[in-house]
Amino acid sequence: MTDYVSRREFLTLLGVSGGTAAAILAGTALGLLPGGAAAATLDLQMAGTEQRRIAILGGGLSGLTVAYELSKRGYDCTILEASHRCGGRIFTVRNGDLIDEIGNRQYCDFDDEPHMYFNAGAARIPSTHRNILAYCKKLNVELEIFVNENKTSYVQDKSMLGGQRIRNIEYTTHMKGFMAELMAKALDQEDLNAPFSESEAETLLGMIRSFGDLSEDDLYRGSLRAGYATGGFLEHGVQKEIIAFRDLLKTPLGRVLISANEGDTGPMLLQPKGGMDKIVEGFLAQVGDKVKYRAMVASVKVGENGVDITYDQDGVRHPLQADYCFNCIPTHLITGINNNFPAEYVSALKYVRRGEAYKAAFQAKRRFWEEEDIYGGISWMNTPSLQIWYPSHGIHQDKGVVLGAYDYGGGMYHTRMTQQQRIEAHLSDGEKLHPGYGQLVEKPITVAWHRMNHMLGCSARWRRSFSRGWSYEEETHYKTLQQPVNGRHYLIGDQMTMHSAWQESAILSAYWAMADFNQRIPVTQA
Amino acid sequence: MRSLKGSFLTVVLLTCLLASINAVCQELEPFNDRYCTTCHGADGRGNEGVQAPRLAGMEDWYLIRQLENFRAGIRGMHPQDIEGAAMQPMAAKLSDASIADIVEWADSWPAEPAGITVQGDVVRGEKFYAVCATCHGVHAEGSETLGAPAMAGQNDWYLVTQLKNFMADYRGNHRDDSYGQQMRSMARTLGDEVGIRDVVSYINTFAER
Repeated sequence: MTDYVSRREFLTLLGVSGGTAAAILAGTALGLLPGGAAAATLDLQMAGTEQRRIAILGGGLSGLTVAYELSKRGYDCTILEASHRCGGRIFTVRNGDLIDEIGNRQYCDFDDEPHMYFNAGAARIPSTHRNILAYCKKLNVELEIFVNENKTSYVQDKSMLGGQRIRNIEYTTHMKGFMAELMAKALDQEDLNAPFSESEAETLLGMIRSFGDLSEDDLYRGSLRAGYATGGFLEHGVQKEIIAFRDLLKTPLGRVLISANEGDTGPMLLQPKGGMDKIVEGFLAQVGDKVKYRAMVASVKVGENGVDITYDQDGVRHPLQADYCFNCIPTHLITGINNNFPAEYVSALKYVRRGEAYKAAFQAKRRFWEEEDIYGGISWMNTPSLQIWYPSHGIHQDKGVVLGAYDYGGGMYHTRMTQQQRIEAHLSDGEKLHPGYGQLVEKPITVAWHRMNHMLGCSARWRRSFSRGWSYEEETHYKTLQQPVNGRHYLIGDQMTMHSAWQESAILSAYWAMADFNQRIPVTQA
Repeated sequence: MRSLKGSFLTVVLLTCLLASINAVCQELEPFNDRYCTTCHGADGRGNEGVQAPRLAGMEDWYLIRQLENFRAGIRGMHPQDIEGAAMQPMAAKLSDASIADIVEWADSWPAEPAGITVQGDVVRGEKFYAVCATCHGVHAEGSETLGAPAMAGQNDWYLVTQLKNFMADYRGNHRDDSYGQQMRSMARTLGDEVGIRDVVSYINTFAER
């Protein structure tokens, strides 16, 4: 590391020798900018006269992707889906739909209107997830903008300002102001001159002042960005009263508020019009005839020349012989299926833990949030329910469906409650953000992924420690599962990526497997 | 609200009847109590991935007693009994007829001994086991008369979890669970988790694998 060159210095050098274009290309290499904008291409050969039978275990997105791509190339695909529906954790709940939680079955009775749905699993598509977006285009799935962060939404914590809710914009404006003041103080002119040229220093200070809306003396005295107390149109706007720095620091929510616009959940985000499962419908329009529903896999035996599968359907055990198998059943359920996988493969399957994410939703009797200038986005509360999401769609309709709780990290807190306790907890939490909430919402549903039939978990958790990243053991298990057993059985799904919980990941896992499969099948004549 | 329920169901059924093969939802899912294999694995073989034990080969009388205990809230109510707490609401929905049906179904599963995952000091475990043998039998074959289930061939990780639960009072703490109370005091004789692993590794020697 003695020859270490900082990113800034490196870019400066390249900028001198090759100009901006060279600097941008190098930026890709350094991981600063995303690569080319094209979706991944699949160069797969057409099926030959033999080795055509493909078994796909699980009708999740990765399984549907394989069915779609390989059917198009002449393969004979069969999808075995254990439940009554395809899509796995792409699950849109509407009027009449079953939420098949073990021990807590629910039927949704939201009003039967196109905009009255709830995406209980996948709910956001980042604009950089180009492969899922490419399928949306190909399968005629109409998209619209999804609003994730909304500055008019609320923040509430009983430890901050006596539990009084404030607007997200108030929190973030003041926090940025105080942070900018600290930064400006920390960098006096002399220090700035040391590592930076005079013009660089001027630019930096200018940014800091603008970031925090500082006064000319580099102090933060509040900002009109946080909203007007009065006026603003026909009269001069009067600045809202500033909130003390120390008060803002009372809530741990600051961390998420200041970073909510970054990474995968940063703008622009999209959603299919009418529900996330429009994507599943798009695939099923092409390969729906290949799906066997309520077909639970009982055994998977991988041989030298193929894969023998049995499955239970309508109380009868059926055989299914395939030349190749693509399996997107969650790892923690595969361990309950009779198999002849190698010991290290089974150990790896057992290593992956199941996610615990939990969501709940209500039908709102009227779109009360729009009466408070909120159109889409998320309010945060420091309670177990954590979030309220306002729908980005159905604007100015009479009613809407709000997310009433989303615990993406834990989830077991609510999962372990009875349905009644869950609902009471969400109503009580929501009351703190929206007075009268209990009267404003009705028809609750809860989706505890840890207990959903045939899923029994949310996204795969590979890492035991988030702070340390992937351990050597984890990398080893991952590589073991990525390799096909006997070159015949592929494990796929977002679980087989280093970035689980995204639809893009499911597709890319399927692409990896199909590209490997393509190398192994006999070459067909052109 | 109640009067709407009939028409709501009709609408759902009609919607599903009209649904094409392309629809995501097939039809109103028929209710069926034969849920067990989702968690307990194909043919009730047990699934370590979700910590659900082997049901294949479990005695009818023991299966019935435990399902009834779960249903009545005698077992699976302690928040630290993670798996029991997942089982309890499931069992709470079962009727006597459902339990009878499940037991009949479970009888149809081939009872192959589960694989070994727990390693311990078998010699030390054998000494511990002497007291267990009084009820569970010298070969861990179980005794209906004494109300003690067979342990030979059961998932060893499950035996470890249950012994830990008994030792920590997560299981067997209900006044109507006399067998569980008995096990609570017996589990304490194992001392600690090392003792538990030792005795389980000895129990592992009974099943032909």
